[in-house]
Amino acid sequence: MSNFREAQNQAHPNKTSTLMLALIVILIMNVSLQIWLLYTALNNALAENTDIAFPAFIASFVLFLIGAGWLYFLPNQVRRKNINF
Amino acid sequence: MATDEKDNHWKEDFPIEQLEATQVTRRDFAKFLCLVSGGLATGSGYVAVKANFFPPEKVQGEHLVCKKSELPKGGTRSFVITGSTIPYILIRLETDEFRAYEQKCTHLSCAVFYMPKSGKIECPCHDGWFDALTGEVLAGPPPRPLPRLEVVIKGEDIYVKEFETNAANPFNTSST
Repeated sequence: MSNFREAQNQAHPNKTSTLMLALIVILIMNVSLQIWLLYTALNNALAENTDIAFPAFIASFVLFLIGAGWLYFLPNQVRRKNINF
Repeated sequence: MATDEKDNHWKEDFPIEQLEATQVTRRDFAKFLCLVSGGLATGSGYVAVKANFFPPEKVQGEHLVCKKSELPKGGTRSFVITGSTIPYILIRLETDEFRAYEQKCTHLSCAVFYMPKSGKIECPCHDGWFDALTGEVLAGPPPRPLPRLEVVIKGEDIYVKEFETNAANPFNTSST
Protein backbone atom coordinates (compact mmCIF):
# COMPACT_ATOMS: atom_id res chain seq x y z
CA MET A 1 0.00 0.00 0.00
CA SER A 2 1.26 3.45 -0.87
CA ASN A 3 2.57 5.52 1.97
CA PHE A 4 2.68 8.68 -0.18
CA ARG A 5 0.14 10.65 1.90
CA GLU A 6 1.76 9.67 5.18
CA ALA A 7 5.18 10.66 3.85
CA GLN A 8 3.78 13.98 2.60
CA ASN A 9 2.21 14.73 5.96
CA GLN A 10 5.49 14.02 7.68
CA ALA A 11 7.46 16.15 5.24
CA HIS A 12 5.06 19.15 5.44
CA PRO A 13 3.45 19.08 8.88
CA ASN A 14 2.06 22.65 8.56
CA LYS A 15 0.19 22.07 5.32
CA THR A 16 -2.95 20.71 6.97
CA SER A 17 -3.02 23.63 9.37
CA THR A 18 -2.79 26.19 6.56
CA LEU A 19 -5.56 24.50 4.56
CA MET A 20 -7.79 24.27 7.60
CA LEU A 21 -7.24 27.94 8.45
CA ALA A 22 -8.10 29.01 4.89
CA LEU A 23 -11.27 26.88 4.91
CA ILE A 24 -12.46 28.23 8.24
CA VAL A 25 -11.72 31.87 7.33
CA ILE A 26 -13.72 31.57 4.10
CA LEU A 27 -16.61 29.83 5.92
CA ILE A 28 -16.68 32.65 8.50
CA MET A 29 -16.72 35.23 5.69
CA ASN A 30 -19.63 33.39 4.03
CA VAL A 31 -21.59 33.31 7.28
CA SER A 32 -20.93 37.03 7.87
CA LEU A 33 -22.27 37.84 4.41
CA GLN A 34 -25.34 35.70 5.08
CA ILE A 35 -26.03 37.49 8.38
CA TRP A 36 -25.86 40.81 6.54
CA LEU A 37 -28.18 39.54 3.79
CA LEU A 38 -30.73 38.25 6.32
CA TYR A 39 -30.62 41.51 8.33
CA THR A 40 -31.08 43.62 5.19
CA ALA A 41 -33.86 41.46 3.77
CA LEU A 42 -35.74 41.44 7.09
CA ASN A 43 -35.45 45.19 7.61
CA ASN A 44 -36.62 45.92 4.07
CA ALA A 45 -39.45 43.41 4.26
CA LEU A 46 -40.71 45.02 7.48
CA ALA A 47 -40.56 48.43 5.76
CA GLU A 48 -42.84 46.96 3.05
CA ASN A 49 -40.00 46.90 0.54
CA THR A 50 -40.24 43.23 -0.37
CA ASP A 51 -38.30 43.25 -3.66
CA ILE A 52 -35.01 42.58 -1.94
CA ALA A 53 -36.11 39.48 0.00
CA PHE A 54 -36.00 36.93 -2.83
CA PRO A 55 -32.61 37.96 -4.34
CA ALA A 56 -31.19 37.97 -0.79
CA PHE A 57 -32.45 34.41 -0.26
CA ILE A 58 -30.90 33.23 -3.55
CA ALA A 59 -27.56 34.84 -2.65
CA SER A 60 -27.70 33.30 0.83
CA PHE A 61 -28.49 29.85 -0.58
CA VAL A 62 -25.63 30.06 -3.09
CA LEU A 63 -23.27 30.99 -0.23
CA PHE A 64 -24.51 27.96 1.70
CA LEU A 65 -23.88 25.68 -1.31
CA ILE A 66 -20.38 27.13 -1.65
CA GLY A 67 -19.77 26.46 2.07
CA ALA A 68 -21.11 22.91 1.84
CA GLY A 69 -19.02 22.16 -1.27
CA TRP A 70 -16.04 23.69 0.48
CA LEU A 71 -16.20 20.95 3.14
CA TYR A 72 -15.10 18.47 0.46
CA PHE A 73 -11.63 19.98 0.73
CA LEU A 74 -11.37 19.42 4.48
CA PRO A 75 -8.05 17.68 5.11
CA ASN A 76 -8.44 14.12 6.32
CA GLN A 77 -8.06 13.46 9.97
CA VAL A 78 -4.57 12.20 10.77
CA ARG A 79 -5.19 8.79 12.26
CA ARG A 80 -2.90 7.57 14.94
CA LYS A 81 -1.85 3.98 14.56
CA ASN A 82 -1.44 1.44 17.32
CA ILE A 83 -3.72 3.00 19.91
CA ASN A 84 -2.72 1.61 23.26
CA PHE A 85 -4.88 2.08 26.28
CA MET B 1 -0.60 -1.62 40.85
CA ALA B 2 -4.18 -1.92 41.94
CA THR B 3 -5.59 -0.33 38.79
CA ASP B 4 -4.04 -3.00 36.59
CA GLU B 5 -6.12 -5.68 38.27
CA LYS B 6 -9.39 -3.97 37.35
CA ASP B 7 -11.39 -4.98 34.35
CA ASN B 8 -10.57 -2.33 31.73
CA HIS B 9 -12.70 -3.72 28.88
CA TRP B 10 -14.92 -0.61 28.93
CA LYS B 11 -12.06 1.26 27.32
CA GLU B 12 -12.42 -0.96 24.29
CA ASP B 13 -16.09 -0.11 24.04
CA PHE B 14 -15.44 3.63 24.37
CA PRO B 15 -12.06 4.15 22.74
CA ILE B 16 -12.16 7.94 23.08
CA GLU B 17 -9.58 9.70 25.15
CA GLN B 18 -10.73 12.43 27.49
CA LEU B 19 -8.84 15.09 25.53
CA GLU B 20 -10.65 14.14 22.31
CA ALA B 21 -14.02 14.16 24.04
CA THR B 22 -13.73 17.69 25.38
CA GLN B 23 -11.91 19.30 22.46
CA VAL B 24 -13.74 20.74 19.45
CA THR B 25 -11.67 19.86 16.43
CA ARG B 26 -11.23 22.28 13.55
CA ARG B 27 -13.07 19.79 11.34
CA ASP B 28 -16.07 19.90 13.66
CA PHE B 29 -15.90 23.69 13.80
CA ALA B 30 -15.87 23.94 9.98
CA LYS B 31 -18.88 21.60 9.77
CA PHE B 32 -20.70 23.62 12.42
CA LEU B 33 -20.08 26.82 10.44
CA CYS B 34 -21.65 25.10 7.44
CA LEU B 35 -24.67 24.18 9.57
CA VAL B 36 -25.03 27.82 10.68
CA SER B 37 -24.78 28.83 7.02
CA GLY B 38 -27.65 26.47 6.18
CA GLY B 39 -29.71 27.91 9.02
CA LEU B 40 -29.18 31.45 7.78
CA ALA B 41 -30.13 30.45 4.22
CA THR B 42 -33.31 28.85 5.59
CA GLY B 43 -34.07 32.03 7.55
CA SER B 44 -33.64 34.14 4.42
CA GLY B 45 -35.99 31.78 2.57
CA TYR B 46 -38.59 32.18 5.33
CA VAL B 47 -38.35 35.98 5.13
CA ALA B 48 -38.68 35.88 1.32
CA VAL B 49 -41.76 33.61 1.40
CA LYS B 50 -43.41 35.54 4.24
CA ALA B 51 -42.81 38.91 2.56
CA ASN B 52 -43.98 37.88 -0.89
CA PHE B 53 -46.82 35.44 -0.25
CA PHE B 54 -48.12 36.30 3.24
CA PRO B 55 -48.12 40.10 3.53
CA PRO B 56 -49.38 41.62 6.80
CA GLU B 57 -53.13 42.15 6.91
CA LYS B 58 -54.36 45.70 6.43
CA VAL B 59 -56.90 47.36 8.68
CA GLN B 60 -60.32 46.97 7.07
CA GLY B 61 -62.86 49.79 7.29
CA GLU B 62 -63.13 52.51 9.89
CA HIS B 63 -63.05 51.92 13.63
CA LEU B 64 -64.40 54.17 16.35
CA VAL B 65 -61.79 55.01 19.01
CA CYS B 66 -63.45 57.59 21.29
CA LYS B 67 -65.14 60.97 21.37
CA LYS B 68 -63.20 64.18 20.78
CA SER B 69 -64.15 65.53 24.21
CA GLU B 70 -62.59 62.49 25.93
CA LEU B 71 -59.12 63.43 24.75
CA PRO B 72 -57.61 66.74 25.98
CA LYS B 73 -54.89 68.52 24.01
CA GLY B 74 -51.56 66.81 24.58
CA GLY B 75 -53.41 63.70 25.70
CA THR B 76 -53.11 60.15 24.42
CA ARG B 77 -55.33 57.11 24.36
CA SER B 78 -54.33 53.49 23.81
CA PHE B 79 -56.65 51.27 21.82
CA VAL B 80 -56.81 48.03 19.90
CA ILE B 81 -58.86 47.32 16.82
CA THR B 82 -61.45 44.56 17.13
CA GLY B 83 -60.07 41.25 15.90
CA SER B 84 -56.47 42.32 16.27
CA THR B 85 -54.00 42.33 19.16
CA ILE B 86 -51.76 45.14 17.87
CA PRO B 87 -51.72 48.03 20.37
CA TYR B 88 -52.21 51.51 18.90
CA ILE B 89 -51.92 54.96 20.40
CA LEU B 90 -54.08 57.95 19.50
CA ILE B 91 -52.47 61.33 20.16
CA ARG B 92 -54.10 64.74 20.24
CA LEU B 93 -51.22 67.12 19.62
CA GLU B 94 -51.03 70.57 21.17
CA THR B 95 -51.74 71.97 17.68
CA ASP B 96 -55.12 70.17 17.85
CA GLU B 97 -54.10 67.61 15.21
CA PHE B 98 -54.83 63.92 15.71
CA ARG B 99 -52.39 61.12 14.96
CA ALA B 100 -52.60 57.35 15.45
CA TYR B 101 -49.57 55.05 15.45
CA GLU B 102 -48.75 51.49 16.34
CA GLN B 103 -47.58 51.55 19.96
CA LYS B 104 -44.64 49.25 19.22
CA CYS B 105 -41.17 50.64 18.66
CA THR B 106 -39.75 49.48 15.34
CA HIS B 107 -36.50 48.58 17.09
CA LEU B 108 -37.49 45.85 19.58
CA SER B 109 -41.26 46.35 19.98
CA CYS B 110 -41.19 48.23 23.30
CA ALA B 111 -44.25 50.37 24.02
CA VAL B 112 -43.78 53.99 22.91
CA PHE B 113 -45.21 57.07 24.66
CA TYR B 114 -46.02 60.62 23.59
CA MET B 115 -43.98 63.18 25.46
CA PRO B 116 -46.46 66.07 26.08
CA LYS B 117 -45.56 69.51 24.72
CA SER B 118 -42.52 68.16 22.86
CA GLY B 119 -44.11 66.91 19.66
CA LYS B 120 -42.07 63.73 20.03
CA ILE B 121 -42.83 60.09 20.77
CA GLU B 122 -40.35 58.37 23.05
CA CYS B 123 -39.29 54.76 23.31
CA PRO B 124 -37.86 54.53 26.83
CA CYS B 125 -36.15 51.16 26.34
CA HIS B 126 -33.25 52.36 24.20
CA ASP B 127 -33.87 56.12 24.00
CA GLY B 128 -35.50 56.10 20.57
CA TRP B 129 -37.41 59.19 19.41
CA PHE B 130 -40.06 59.61 16.72
CA ASP B 131 -41.72 62.72 15.27
CA ALA B 132 -45.29 62.76 16.59
CA LEU B 133 -46.50 64.54 13.44
CA THR B 134 -45.15 62.07 10.87
CA GLY B 135 -43.90 59.02 12.78
CA GLU B 136 -40.41 59.45 11.31
CA VAL B 137 -37.38 58.45 13.40
CA LEU B 138 -35.65 61.45 14.96
CA ALA B 139 -32.99 59.74 17.06
CA GLY B 140 -31.92 56.43 18.53
CA PRO B 141 -31.79 52.88 17.25
CA PRO B 142 -35.22 52.40 15.55
CA PRO B 143 -34.64 51.52 11.87
CA ARG B 144 -38.08 52.44 10.49
CA PRO B 145 -40.85 55.01 11.09
CA LEU B 146 -43.78 54.01 13.29
CA PRO B 147 -46.61 52.34 11.31
CA ARG B 148 -49.43 54.86 11.11
CA LEU B 149 -53.21 54.83 10.94
CA GLU B 150 -55.25 57.59 9.35
CA VAL B 151 -57.50 59.53 11.75
CA VAL B 152 -60.94 60.54 10.50
CA ILE B 153 -63.05 63.01 12.49
CA LYS B 154 -66.81 62.69 12.04
CA GLY B 155 -68.51 65.30 14.17
CA GLU B 156 -67.50 64.44 17.74
CA ASP B 157 -66.33 60.91 16.98
CA ILE B 158 -62.77 59.90 16.17
CA TYR B 159 -62.32 57.00 13.75
CA VAL B 160 -59.17 55.36 12.43
CA LYS B 161 -58.57 53.56 9.14
CA GLU B 162 -55.68 52.17 7.08
CA PHE B 163 -53.18 54.88 6.22
CA GLU B 164 -52.60 55.14 2.49
CA THR B 165 -49.57 57.10 1.43
CA ASN B 166 -50.42 59.69 -1.16
CA ALA B 167 -47.62 59.99 -3.75
CA ALA B 168 -48.20 63.72 -4.21
CA ASN B 169 -48.53 64.34 -0.50
CA PRO B 170 -46.89 61.49 1.42
CA PHE B 171 -47.73 62.94 4.81
CA ASN B 172 -51.43 63.26 4.27
CA THR B 173 -52.73 65.88 6.67
CA SER B 174 -56.29 66.01 5.41
CA SER B 175 -57.44 63.91 8.34
CA THR B 176 -56.93 66.64 10.92
